Amino acid sequence: MIGATLVGIATSAIRLATPYLYAAIGEAIGQLSGVLNLGVDGIMLMGAFTGFYVTLLTGHPALGLLAAMATGASMGLLMAFISVTLQAEQGISGIGLYLFGLGLSTLLFGMTVGTVKTVSGFPQAPIPGLSRIPILGEILFSHNPLVYGAFALVPLAWFVLNKTPLGLKLRAAGQNPLAADSLGVDVIRVRYVAVVLGGVLSGIAGASLSIALLNVFQQNMTNGMGFIAVALVYFGGWRPLGVLAGAMLFSTVNAIQVWLQVQGVKIPSDFALMMPYVITILVLASMAKRRIHAPAALNKPFERGGE
Amino acid sequence: MRKLGGILGLMVLFGVCTFGAPFRVAVILPSTINDFAWSQSMYEALVAIQEEMGEDNFQFVYSENMYVIADAAAAIRDYATQGYNLIIAHGSQYGSSLVDIAPDFPKTSFVWGSTAQTFTELGIHNIFAYAPHAEEGGYVNGVIAALLTKTGVIGGIGPIKTGDAKRYAAGFEKGIKDTRPEVQVNYTFIGSYSDVALASEAARTFVNAGADVLTGTAQMTVGAISVAKEKGIFWLGYDVDQSPLAPTTVVASIVVDWTVALKPIIGMIQEGKRGGEILPLTFANGGLKLAFNEAALEGKLSPIEIIELKATVWETVRKIVSGEITIEVE
Amino acid sequence: MGAGAPRPPFLRRKMRQTVDRVEMRGIVKRFPGVVANDRVDFDVRAGEIHALLGENGAGKSTLMKILYGMYQPDEGEILVNGKRVRFRSPLDAIRAGIGMVHQHFMLVEPFTVAENVALGLPSSRRFVNDLDRVSARIRELAETYGFKVDPRAYIWQLSVGEQQRVEILKVLYRGASVLILDEPTAVLTPQEVEGLFRTLRHMREEGHAIVFISHKLNEVLSISDRITVLRGGQVVGTVPAAEATRTGLARMMVGREVVFRLERPEVEPGEVMLEIRDLWAMGDRGVPALRGVNLEVRAGEIVGLAGVSGNGQRELAEVIVGLRRPQRGAVRIGKTDVTGWPPAALIGLGLSYIPEERIRDGGVPEFSVEDNLVLKDHPFPPFSQGIFLNFPEMAHYADRLIKDFDIRTPSRRTPLKSLSGGNIQKLILARELSRSPKVLIAAQPTRGLDISATEYVRRRILEQREKGTATLLISDDLDEILSLSDRIAVIYEGRIMGVVKSEEADIEELGLMMAGVESR
Repeated sequence: MIGATLVGIATSAIRLATPYLYAAIGEAIGQLSGVLNLGVDGIMLMGAFTGFYVTLLTGHPALGLLAAMATGASMGLLMAFISVTLQAEQGISGIGLYLFGLGLSTLLFGMTVGTVKTVSGFPQAPIPGLSRIPILGEILFSHNPLVYGAFALVPLAWFVLNKTPLGLKLRAAGQNPLAADSLGVDVIRVRYVAVVLGGVLSGIAGASLSIALLNVFQQNMTNGMGFIAVALVYFGGWRPLGVLAGAMLFSTVNAIQVWLQVQGVKIPSDFALMMPYVITILVLASMAKRRIHAPAALNKPFERGGE
Repeated sequence: MRKLGGILGLMVLFGVCTFGAPFRVAVILPSTINDFAWSQSMYEALVAIQEEMGEDNFQFVYSENMYVIADAAAAIRDYATQGYNLIIAHGSQYGSSLVDIAPDFPKTSFVWGSTAQTFTELGIHNIFAYAPHAEEGGYVNGVIAALLTKTGVIGGIGPIKTGDAKRYAAGFEKGIKDTRPEVQVNYTFIGSYSDVALASEAARTFVNAGADVLTGTAQMTVGAISVAKEKGIFWLGYDVDQSPLAPTTVVASIVVDWTVALKPIIGMIQEGKRGGEILPLTFANGGLKLAFNEAALEGKLSPIEIIELKATVWETVRKIVSGEITIEVE
Repeated sequence: MGAGAPRPPFLRRKMRQTVDRVEMRGIVKRFPGVVANDRVDFDVRAGEIHALLGENGAGKSTLMKILYGMYQPDEGEILVNGKRVRFRSPLDAIRAGIGMVHQHFMLVEPFTVAENVALGLPSSRRFVNDLDRVSARIRELAETYGFKVDPRAYIWQLSVGEQQRVEILKVLYRGASVLILDEPTAVLTPQEVEGLFRTLRHMREEGHAIVFISHKLNEVLSISDRITVLRGGQVVGTVPAAEATRTGLARMMVGREVVFRLERPEVEPGEVMLEIRDLWAMGDRGVPALRGVNLEVRAGEIVGLAGVSGNGQRELAEVIVGLRRPQRGAVRIGKTDVTGWPPAALIGLGLSYIPEERIRDGGVPEFSVEDNLVLKDHPFPPFSQGIFLNFPEMAHYADRLIKDFDIRTPSRRTPLKSLSGGNIQKLILARELSRSPKVLIAAQPTRGLDISATEYVRRRILEQREKGTATLLISDDLDEILSLSDRIAVIYEGRIMGVVKSEEADIEELGLMMAGVESR
C-alpha cells in the first residue's frame, strides 16, 4: 500500500512537472541571453490553443505540436522584436505579451471551438522493456511522449549551454554583451535566437497540457503556470539541473497535497493548497544567500558602445 | 384599503409600461456560456424563457468571463444605468458589489445567485436571490455512486469549499453513507475554478487510490472528466447534462433549471415587487432535475442491474420530493 | 604577424595577410554637440609602438574605436597596406588583423580564460566547443610572449594584471598584427607595468604594430617609438620619442605650460584625528577584505594609501565612512570611537568623503547641481528652517561653489548626470571641502580627470592640509601618492604591509610591498 502510494505520488509529480520543465528551461535560455520574458504564460496559452485546435481539425497530435511550436516561435519573435530591437522595458513587455496571449487564446477558442471538447492527443507510450521494471518502470517509463521530451530536454539544454559555441555566445550575451560584441558576436541575433527558442519551448509547454496530459482546452487553463516557471528559473539558478530540481520539488509537493486530500487526511484544504507555494518561497528564501547571481546584463537592452 | 388601492394603481401603471416594452434582462457570468457547467446552465435557462415568452416580450444580454470582480461591478452598474428591468449577478462573489450598487438604482431589480440572502436587513429591497439545494443533487449522485462502485472507493473534486460546491459535497457524502456505509469517500477541493491540470491530477490520484466513480462541480472538472473517460471509470455530473462530453463515462448529471427561479422573479417584478424574495431550486419545484444517461452503463451492467439501479435512484428522488429524506447541511 | 607566432588552424586556412601599415586619413567623427575627431591623420607600422597621447576627451579612444570598427567615421578613410577598407563592425577589423584591448576590460567574468578567448570564434569541432585545443594554443602563445596564464581559471579569480593579459591573449589568438591598447597601465602596479612593457617590446620584435593610448607622459616616453598628441579632437603633432621631452609633450597636450611640482609647504602634523585599530571586514564576495588594518592620520597630514586596486582600499573607506559594517576593530575620529556609526552622525562629526565611484556613490544623478551641492547639509541652517528649505540661500551657496570650484555647468539647475566626469568630481570636491572637514577620505580623487583638472584637485587637497585637515588619500596612481602624501601606507590583501615617509620612499620598494612582499 505504502509502495503503491509512493509510486502514485512520484508518477503524479513527474506528470505535473512536465509543462513547468519546458517553460522554465525555455525561460532560462532567454534569461541567460539577457532577456527577461514574463509572457511565458501567454505563450503557453497560445501554444495550448493552437496545438489543441490543429489536433481537433486534423486528428494528428504531431501536427498540433508543430503548430504549437510555430505559435510559440512567433510569440517569441514578437517578444524579441519588442525587447531587443525596440529595447522596450522587458518586464512590462512580457506582461503585455501575457495579456495578449490570454486574450487572444480565449477569443480564438470562442470563435472556433467554443465549447468543451476533448481530442485524442498523444497516447501513453510505455517504453518497451524499461516500463516492465518493477516500480521504476511505472514511475519513469510509462508516460506520454511529451513527458519524456521534457526530461530529455534537461541534459540537452545543459549540453547546448555549456558545451557548444552557441551556448558560449548565448551566456556571454547575457553576462557581458559589450565584450561579446567586441569579439564579433552578433548579440542582437543571439538574443533573438534565445528568445524564439524560449517561445518554442513555452509553446510545447502549453501543448503538453492540451494535447498530451489533459486533452482539453479551456480559457486560462495554464492558471499562472508560466509565472511559476519564471520563479523556477531563479530557483534553479539559471541551470537546467537546478530548474529540474525546482520543478520536481514544486510538483512533488503539489502531488502530495492532492494525495493528502484524496486520502481524506483532515487538514484544511486551503492550507494544503498553500503548501507548494509556501515551500517554494521558503526554499527560495533560504537560498537567497547562495552565490548564484542573475546574468549580469539581464533586463538590459543592448546597444553598441552604450557604456 | 387605501394602501391596497395604491398598490393596485401602481400595478396598473406598471402593467401599461410592461405591455408596451419588452422585459429586459442583463446577466453577469463568471465563465463562458459554453463551459458545460455553471454559466452554461444559466444561459440555457434564459434562452428557454425567451423561447417561451417570445423575443418581443423578453430580451437578454450577457457579459461572460467576469471573473474579475471589479470588472463585474462596472458591468452591473452599466446595465443598471441603461435601464434593464432585471440584472442577474450569477455568482456568490458578486454580493458585495450588489450591496454597493443596488441602492443607487431603486427602480431596477437585481438577482444574486446562488445564495439565500437578499440584504433586506440592510434596508435594500430590490435584490432577489436564488438558491439551488445542491445537497439534494449531491445526495442523489451519492446514492448512484454507492450503487456503482465495485472497489468501494469514490472521489469528489470541488473548486473552493464554499456555497454550492460545499453543499453538493456534503450531500454526496451523505448519499453514499446512507446507502453503503462501508464505502470510502473522499472529497478534495483544488482551490481554483480554472486549474484544469490540477483537477485532472486529482482525478488520476483518486484512480491510483482505487476509485472507480468520480464526481465534481465547476468548470475545471472537464480535466477530471477527461481522465475518467481515459481510465474507463464513471463520472457523475452537476449543473448541466455533461454526458455529451463523455457518453460512456457520465452516468448521470444533476441539471439545475434556473427558469424555475427566474420565471417567478420575472412575474413578481411585473407585479411590482422589486426584491426581497429567496427562491429555492429543489427536486420538488423542478429546479433540480436528474438527467440519467443509460448508455454509459450498457455492457458494463446487466439490463436487470440497470433497471434496479434506476428504480432505486428514482425512488430516492421521490423520497426527497415527498420529504421522507431530508438532508441537513451546515 | 611575425614568423615566430604560429596561427591557430582556422586562421591558417584563410591565409590572413600580415599588416605592414595602417593609415587613417582625414577622420572626422561628430557626436551630438561635439566634434570628437576633427580631420585626424594617423598611421602605425609593423614593428613600432606608436603612442597616442592626450587629455581625457581629446578624442584618442574615439579614433581607435573607429579603427576597430566600433564607430563609423563621418568623413575620412582607413587604409590597410595602402588599400582602402571599411570596417562595419569589430568583426571586420578583426578579420583585417586589428585587435583592441579596451580600457574597461571586455571580459565575461563568470567565464574561464579559455572560454573568453574562444568566444565568437568558430569551433574546430563545429557544434561542440574545442576548449581543450584552445587551452593548448593559449599555453603556446603565453610561452611565446613570456607570460603565465591558466586557461581554466575563471576571470574573477585573476588579478587585474592577469586579466589584461587575457585581453592581449584574445587579440593575439585571433592573429592580430595590429594591437591597440587603451590606457593599459591605469590599473597596474609598477612591476606589472614593467611586465606589460616587456611583453609589448617582445611583440614589437615579432613584427606587430602597436598603438598605445595614454595620458601618462613618463610611460609614453619610455615605451614608444613615435608619439602623436591629440588635443580637442585634432592632431597637435607627431614626434619621434627620442626627440620628445616631458615638458614639450605636456605643452602640446594642454596648450600651455604645466607645472609639475606642486608647492607643498611644511606643516607640523597635529594630534591624531583618524585612528584605525585592528580593523576586520568582509568584502562583497563574502571573504575578508580587511584583515586587521592599523593606521593613523594626524591633523594637517596626508597619508597616502597605495596598493593595487581590489586589495581592500574600497572596503576600508566604506567602513570609515559608515557604509560597511566592520567585524572587529575600532575607528576613532579625534577621541570618539565611531565604530559602526551611521553616515549621518559621522558627517556631523566633520568627516568628508570623496568616493571612488563618484557617479554611483557621490551624488544623485537625476538631481540638479544645486541639490547635489547641499545634499549633505540641507537639514541644517542656513539651508533649512524648521521643516522648510531656504531656497534663496541654497541657490546663493550653489552659485558661489560653482564659481569657486570652477564647475563647468550650464546652470545650477542642470541635472548632475549631464556633467562630465571631471566636473562631477569638482562638484563633489566642492561639497566635501567647503564643509571644512576635520577628516577627509579621498578615494581616487583624480581618476579620469585631465591634467588641468587633476592639478586643480590636488591643489585643493593640499590647501586643506594647510588648514589642518587629516586626509587619507586612496589612489592607484603612485605618482599622485608620492607627490601629495606626507606618509605612504601600502595595503595588500587587507593588511598594511608597511608605512614609509614619503621623502624616504623608493618606488621599487613600494612596488614590492604592493605585490605582497613585507617591508624591510
